Amino acid sequence: MKAKYRIRESAGDRTFSMIVLVFLVLFAVLMAVPMIAELAVSLSSKIASQTGSIGLLPEGFTFASWEFMLRNASLWSSFMISVSSTALVVVISLLINSMMAYPLSKKRFGPSRVLLLLVVFTMIFKAPTIPYFLTLRGYGLYNNFWAMVFPQVISAYNLLVMRSFFQTFPQEIEEAAEIDGCGKFRMFFQIVLPSSKAVIATVGLFYGVGAWNQYATPLMMIQDTALFPLQLKIHQLVNAASGDIAAAVKVSTANYTNETLGAAAVIFSMIPVLILYPFVQKYFAKGAMLGSVKG
Amino acid sequence: MKLTKRMLGTLLALALLISGAAFAETAENYPDIEYWFTNEGFLPAEVGGAYYNLTKETIGVGVYMPYVDWNGGQTYREQLALRVAANDTPDIFIYNNGIENSLILDGAALDLTDYLPEYMPHVWEAIPASVWETVKANDPTGQGRIWTIPDVTTFTRHGAYIRTDWLEAVGKSMPTTQEEFVDVLRAFKEKDPNGNGAADEIPAGGRMEARWMDYLFAQYGVAMYEGYPEWDIYDGEITYSAVTSNMKAALEFVSSLYKEGLLDPETLLNSAGDWSGKFDSNTVGVYYHIPWVAYQRLQGIYDYTAGAVKAQVANLPQISAEGYEGFITVKPTGNSGKMVSADVANDEMLMKAAFRVLDCQYNMEYRDLEYGVEGMHFEVVDGKKVKLPEDKASQELLILQTPGCQVENVEVITSRLEAVRTEENSWQIDESIALLNGNQADGKVIAADGMPSSVYEGYEDIQNRTLYVEYVSKIITGEYSIDKFDEFVERWYKNGGQAVTDRVREWYAGKK
Repeated sequence: MKAKYRIRESAGDRTFSMIVLVFLVLFAVLMAVPMIAELAVSLSSKIASQTGSIGLLPEGFTFASWEFMLRNASLWSSFMISVSSTALVVVISLLINSMMAYPLSKKRFGPSRVLLLLVVFTMIFKAPTIPYFLTLRGYGLYNNFWAMVFPQVISAYNLLVMRSFFQTFPQEIEEAAEIDGCGKFRMFFQIVLPSSKAVIATVGLFYGVGAWNQYATPLMMIQDTALFPLQLKIHQLVNAASGDIAAAVKVSTANYTNETLGAAAVIFSMIPVLILYPFVQKYFAKGAMLGSVKG
Repeated sequence: MKLTKRMLGTLLALALLISGAAFAETAENYPDIEYWFTNEGFLPAEVGGAYYNLTKETIGVGVYMPYVDWNGGQTYREQLALRVAANDTPDIFIYNNGIENSLILDGAALDLTDYLPEYMPHVWEAIPASVWETVKANDPTGQGRIWTIPDVTTFTRHGAYIRTDWLEAVGKSMPTTQEEFVDVLRAFKEKDPNGNGAADEIPAGGRMEARWMDYLFAQYGVAMYEGYPEWDIYDGEITYSAVTSNMKAALEFVSSLYKEGLLDPETLLNSAGDWSGKFDSNTVGVYYHIPWVAYQRLQGIYDYTAGAVKAQVANLPQISAEGYEGFITVKPTGNSGKMVSADVANDEMLMKAAFRVLDCQYNMEYRDLEYGVEGMHFEVVDGKKVKLPEDKASQELLILQTPGCQVENVEVITSRLEAVRTEENSWQIDESIALLNGNQADGKVIAADGMPSSVYEGYEDIQNRTLYVEYVSKIITGEYSIDKFDEFVERWYKNGGQAVTDRVREWYAGKK
C-alpha cells in the first residue's frame, strides 16, 4: 500500500489559489462571451439584427443564416481547399523545418552561423507587398492552389523554436547511435524525430492555424473563386454593402443580414480548430515553453 | 464498328468547327474586355458565363471580371495596384478616393480626350460640358486632358423626410420655419405619436462623427455632404464651411436640440445600422438620407410592426434659420468614375472594344442590360420585366449595371424604382417617387463641385476632419461651450487648414 502524501497548504496559499481560480474563470467567461454573442446573432432573424436587439440569446430564432451558408456548395469546396492546403502546409513545413533546424542546432556544422543570420534577417526585413506579389506571380503562383502552400511552409520564428529544442537534445544518445554505426539521416528520422513529438506538435499547430486562417496571401494571389480558401469564401458570402451604399436599389426577401451571416461564418470557421485543439493541447502547453530555457 | 465510331467523332468535330467558324464570322470580332467594377459579394462574371454571354449578344463585346473584393473600396484599390504593378491592368476599371491622379501620372491610364467625340459619342453628350471642363481643369499633368469619365449626378440626391402619420397623430401641420420645426420635434417627443404607450420616440438624430444630419446644419447655409463639411462661397471667397460663422450658429442650434432631448442621445454613437434600425423600429420622426430609398425603411417599419404600420412620409421642406439661406448640397461631378488602361492602345481592336463598352453604357438603346440575365436577375411577368430578389449566392455581378444611366437624374432613378415595384411594395415605391420629386428645388450646386482630393495631399487630418469631429462632438453634447468654436477655427487654420485653403482657392480660380 502506498501512502498518500500531500503538501500542506497554508490559508494564504488557498486564498491565493482561489483568487487565481476566480480570475481564470472570469477570464474564461470574458473569452466566451463574444463567441456566445456571435452564436446568438447567427441564429437570429433579419429584423432582430437590423434593430440591434440581440444580446446573448437569439432573437426571432431562425436557422436562415446557417442554411444559406451550409447549403452553398462552393462553401464546401472552399472548405476542402482549406483543409488540403492546411494539411500540405503542415506536412511540408514540418519536414523542411526540422531538416533545417537540426543541422543549425549543431555547433559542428560550419555554415550554421551564416545561415542563422540569413534566417533572422527575414524576421527583421519584410518584403513590401508589390515586390512580394510580383515574385510569387513570377513563380507562376497567381491563381494557383500552391500559392496557399509554398509561401507558408517556412517561418523563421518556428524554425528558431525547433532549433532551440534540438539544441537540448542529449548529445550522448546521438554519440551512442553513431558508435553503433547509425548514419546521419537514420539518426534524424529514427532517433531524433520520434523523441521530438512535443515540438513537432507545437510547431505543427502554429503552422496549421496560420495556414487555416491565412487571408492576405490568397486575397492577393487568388482571383478565381473556384480556388478560394474558406476564409476568402466566407468573406465573399458575408460581404455586402455598408449602409451608405445601400442607396442602390435592392430587393431582398431573405431572413438574414450580413451581420447574421458573418456571425455564422465566424462560428463555422472556428469549428475545425476547436475540434483539433484538445488533441494537440497536451503537447502545446509543453511545446510552447520549449526553447525558452536553454540547456 | 470501331471505324464508324471514329468517323462519327471526326464528323462531329468537323461540324463543330464549321459552325464555330460561321459564328465567329457573323459576330463582331471584338476581343473580350476585363472590366473592374464594385462587387460586394455577387458571383464573378467570368468568361463564358451567363452575364458574359449576355453582353456578348447584346453589344458584341464579352465583358468579364474576376472576383475582386470591394471592402469599402480598400481591397479593390490594393488589388488594382497589384495588377497595375504587374503590367496587367484591367482594360476598364473604376476609380475612387483619389487614386486616379497617381494612375494618370504613372502612365497607367489612357488619354481619352481625342477619342471621346468619335468613339464614345453617347458618353461625350451625356455628361454636361461644364463637367468636362472640370475634368480638364483637374488633369494632374496640367495639360488639360481628359483621363477619366466621372460619375455624374444631376439631381438633388439627399434630403430629410418626416413621418406625416406622426404629424397627424400629434395634430401639427408641416413645419416651414425653424420655430415650427422645433415645435413639431417637441410634440413628437411628448405626445407618443407611435401610440405604443411608451416614451420611446426619437424626434430626430444622426450618426457618429455628426454625420447624416446635414439638414440641421443646412438651415444655416452650411455646405455639407453626408456629414462632411464642404467648400462653398462665404464672404465672397471659397471657404471650408466648417470654419464659418454659419457653422457656429448651426452648432449652437444643434447643441440646443441635443440638450432638450430632441436629438437621439446616441446620435454620436450610431452606426449606419443602428440609426436605420431605430427608424425601422418605428421610433424616429425625421430622417435624413437618400430619400428615394425610403421604401427600404418603410418596409423595415412594416416588418417590425408585423404589418400593422404602413408609415407615411413626406419631404421636410427646406427650412432657413432667420437671416440665413438654407439649401441641400449638390455635387454633380463625382469623385469616382471610370478609366481605361493605357495598355489597350497597343491593340486597336481591344481599344475599340473598350470604347464600345463604355459608349453602350451611356446609350439608352441598351438600357435593358440593367435588368441582367433572364432567370438569374429578372423574370417576365405579364410581359413586363421584374427584378428578382437580390441573391448573391446565385446571381452574377451586373458590371454594366446602368446602361444609359451613368448620369443619374430623376428620370433614371424613377425607372430604377419602377423596376423593383411589386404588388406588395407598390405603396412604398409611390412614397419614394414622391420624395424624389419633392425636394429637387432645394438643391444647390456648391462651388467645390469637382474639386480633386489632391488639395488635401499631406494634410490627411484636414481631409479626415479629425479636429472638426472632436470639437463638433463635444460642442453638440455640451461638453464644450460654443465659445470653444473660435479655438477650433484657429487651430484648424494653424494645422494645415490655411495651406489647404490656399490650394483650394488657387484651384477655384483656375476653374473659373
